[in-house]
Amino acid sequence: MKTFKLSVLACAFVMLTGTINYVKSQDVNEILQKVDKVLYSAKDQQNKVTIILIDKSGSESKREADVIQKGNDMRLFRFTSPASQAGIAFLSLPKDVMYIYMPAFGKERRIASHVKNQKFAGTDFSYDDMEAKLLSSKYDPELIDQDNETYTLKLVPKPGLKTDYSKQVMKINKQDFYPVTAEYFDKGGNKVKEATYQYEKVGNYWSAKEILMKDIKRNHATKMIVSDVIFDQGLSDDEFTVRKLKQ
Amino acid sequence: MNKLSEGIIKLKWLIIIVVIGLTAFFSYQLKDIKINSDIISSLPDDDPVALLYKNIGEEFGGNDLGMVLLETDDIFKKEVIEHVKQITDTLKFTKGIFTVTSLTDVIDIKGSEWGIEIGKLVDEYDMPDTQRELDSLKYRVFSKEMYKGSIVSEDGTSTLIMFTMLNGVDKQQLAIEIKEKITRLNLPEKIYFGGLPMMMNDVSDLIISDIVRLIPIVFLLIAFILFISFRTTRGVILPLLTAAISVIWTLGLMTLLGYEITMISNIIPIILLAVGSAYTIHVLNRINQCLEKDRKKALQIALAYIITPVILAAVTTVVGFVSFVFGAYLTMIQDFGIFTAVGVFFALFLSIFFVPALISAFSMYKSANRLKRNGKKKKSFLSNNILRPLKNILFKHPKYALTAWSLLLLLTISGVFMIQRSVNMADYFKKNNPTRVTEDIMQEKFGGSLPVYVVFNGDIQSPEVLKTIKETQEYMETIPGIDKTQSIADLIEEMSDVMGEGKKIPDEKAKIVNLWFLLDGQDIMEQLVTKNLNKAIIQSKFASADSKLMTDFENAMETFVTENSTEECKIEVTGMPAVYVRLDSSLIDSQISSLIIAIIMVLIIVGLLLRSVAKGIYATIPIIATIIILFGFMGLTGIPLDIATVLVASIALGIGIDYSIHIITHFNHALNENGDVNEALEETIMVSGKAIIINVASVAAGFLVLLFSELVPLQNFGLLVALSMIGSGLGALTLLPVILILANRKRKFIKS
Repeated sequence: MKTFKLSVLACAFVMLTGTINYVKSQDVNEILQKVDKVLYSAKDQQNKVTIILIDKSGSESKREADVIQKGNDMRLFRFTSPASQAGIAFLSLPKDVMYIYMPAFGKERRIASHVKNQKFAGTDFSYDDMEAKLLSSKYDPELIDQDNETYTLKLVPKPGLKTDYSKQVMKINKQDFYPVTAEYFDKGGNKVKEATYQYEKVGNYWSAKEILMKDIKRNHATKMIVSDVIFDQGLSDDEFTVRKLKQ
Repeated sequence: MNKLSEGIIKLKWLIIIVVIGLTAFFSYQLKDIKINSDIISSLPDDDPVALLYKNIGEEFGGNDLGMVLLETDDIFKKEVIEHVKQITDTLKFTKGIFTVTSLTDVIDIKGSEWGIEIGKLVDEYDMPDTQRELDSLKYRVFSKEMYKGSIVSEDGTSTLIMFTMLNGVDKQQLAIEIKEKITRLNLPEKIYFGGLPMMMNDVSDLIISDIVRLIPIVFLLIAFILFISFRTTRGVILPLLTAAISVIWTLGLMTLLGYEITMISNIIPIILLAVGSAYTIHVLNRINQCLEKDRKKALQIALAYIITPVILAAVTTVVGFVSFVFGAYLTMIQDFGIFTAVGVFFALFLSIFFVPALISAFSMYKSANRLKRNGKKKKSFLSNNILRPLKNILFKHPKYALTAWSLLLLLTISGVFMIQRSVNMADYFKKNNPTRVTEDIMQEKFGGSLPVYVVFNGDIQSPEVLKTIKETQEYMETIPGIDKTQSIADLIEEMSDVMGEGKKIPDEKAKIVNLWFLLDGQDIMEQLVTKNLNKAIIQSKFASADSKLMTDFENAMETFVTENSTEECKIEVTGMPAVYVRLDSSLIDSQISSLIIAIIMVLIIVGLLLRSVAKGIYATIPIIATIIILFGFMGLTGIPLDIATVLVASIALGIGIDYSIHIITHFNHALNENGDVNEALEETIMVSGKAIIINVASVAAGFLVLLFSELVPLQNFGLLVALSMIGSGLGALTLLPVILILANRKRKFIKS
């Protein structure tokens, strides 16, 4: 009886420690999924964004845009200021289909998909960085560090993913699972960009309030300030059409 | 002078300690010595064209364009394209590299029925691998001006991978790293490195190799000549020691003041070894000649006598170097002039203070007896075989020497008008030097490598400015030497084309701003337009380094700019042709001005010394004749005037005049003593002649070592200085005595 009890105890101990290890490796994927959930659980979203470009001398220039997005792959981005750029709009659709509308020409044009590593509208964000796809669908995570407040994940692109980055190192808030910072590394292993996030709770969701993206090589930065956020107002797919783009 | 020489001997220990202290101090400075092979940094800031050129480097990353050239039989093969990508990526992922442009990484604006694509010519995730894809890439490359002949050569056998460096990186270090990394890829194609950063790295290697190889040779050579002249350890060690110390002081001072070694100032050590040792030779020679039994007193007497002539010899040499400060275009030449002059001054200081102090402190006197013996032995060879026959001819047939010199002048004078000028950096390398080879290929296949920039100041997004840019490009392409041009206007036209409005600059600014939006953030934009959109450049390359073509281009552009530059769109032109044209015209200006300054200064100094204008003029005749023959020689042999050879005439004047000074002072001295011209002259030739021959031999040998330099201008420089030393020495020994004979005959005739 005693031996049985002991063996149960031993067994339980083994299982317990085994479970801890198991939980740990599963945790990483779970953490990333939780991040995805924080980032992309809203069905749709409308907001204004102020884009501030900061050059190496510290001088700033400002642009503003209205954004609507639905799910992970529909987004309409329309510039409202400065006046010279007002009306220029981007439409992203599933399967990497992208359109730009040029008001001065009154015409839209489709943009090829393999420009994803190009900068978006002169900012330090690439089309790739602007993408709203689930992180867990693009990257294999690895927990490399943690402290009282954050997890540090190394995100390695899944095989076959077309990206300029060899990895991202992302710090994630332990309590609420929103990203705090992200470091981007090129294929030579050099850190090329650095993002700092500020999140706030808007209704049921965590929402990015400000993202600062620094291009380390160019000594140039872009600040995106998000405001007037409205979630889940039931935007229809019809809002994301070329016809709407041209309005 | 007696007091001074007494003082020197009294304060010997103080002098020795100060010299050792200073040498230690300056040697310590040498740890920070840097080599600057960047010719651009030597452009003067007070020249607007040069300043503009420098600024373009900062604003558009233009000057630091480096190139990797890949050569094979056909670029459009799967493996070759992959190798281009390998090189491109290697560069891209190297720290300090700003942008990379290559076949696999270059903007491509494509329009199609379904839309536009502002992407890359080659999709790095979908590299062309079928023959069809490769053919279509080839077709695309050769159908676009932007690629044909600038990224891929028109014969399809070579391609360029171009890169710019970030501001503030150590360009030379980066150049080395790039070379190593790409060489390590071990690609089967032929790889060449070009562009200024790589060229600079090459120059800097050559500078170091020159210093490391040549200085010991000069050192040993001078040691050898000193040994056969003096046949004592002291006679070898003291001149070399003072020269070496003056080299350390000069380079130490340069480093201390923040100056760097350039492709010109790297010859300072060689010059100082050759010239600086001469002052100590004179001092030693004089001490040796003084037969006073009390050696301490002998030293004092000798010193009192020698100080003035040595100071004069040094002052004229200093004048020769300082004359470059006025009229030289490149700051590195001015710096060279100043620091060599300072070095000469150091050598002078050491020879009259340090050398006697050492001799007296360590009792390095030679016994008077040994001196006599040695003196006799030495006299025999030079005197019997050279000086005596020379003297005999001069006295018997004074006109012979005159006729010989006149003939030589007549023969060479036509050459003076045939002198060519060379300012092209590529000419500075030997024919088989890798940099030179790359330059030749660049010239042949990619329309040269001399960058040309036209800067437009105004609202770059306005249709008027963009149209002006386009018109300027069209005009430029009609000028010989310009093959193709590139600007933001080209990209806007292409964008307009894919938007279906034709290949033109839109008439409305709104449209331009729309098109701009898509180009914003492209790597190439930073090379063509400033961030605040008030400046744009046309980039082009000039195909030839021919002075006339470059001058024609400059003039054509100047006319165009005056006619088309407006308040709204100010146009400025710069680039290497503009710099070369200035450098070219400055070569003549600085040659003339430095020579005139040197001649006038020398005339004044020699005139004052000899207390006679006429004698001053006599003294300069041999050296001026030598300089004319030198220029003739340059013209006839095709040695061009360049940044180094332009220095020869004034240096030759400064050093060569010393021989005349020695002859005339000695002659005066002797004439005063015995009153007979012939006897005085005989003594002069037999005694001073020997010193001159030794001096010519050691200085000429020192400079001839430069024939082994890696840089062509320095080779020519060495040869020419050596020749002019021989010429002015010979002039002082043949032409000058004849002039003195004739002048004195005339005087006698007038007197009687």
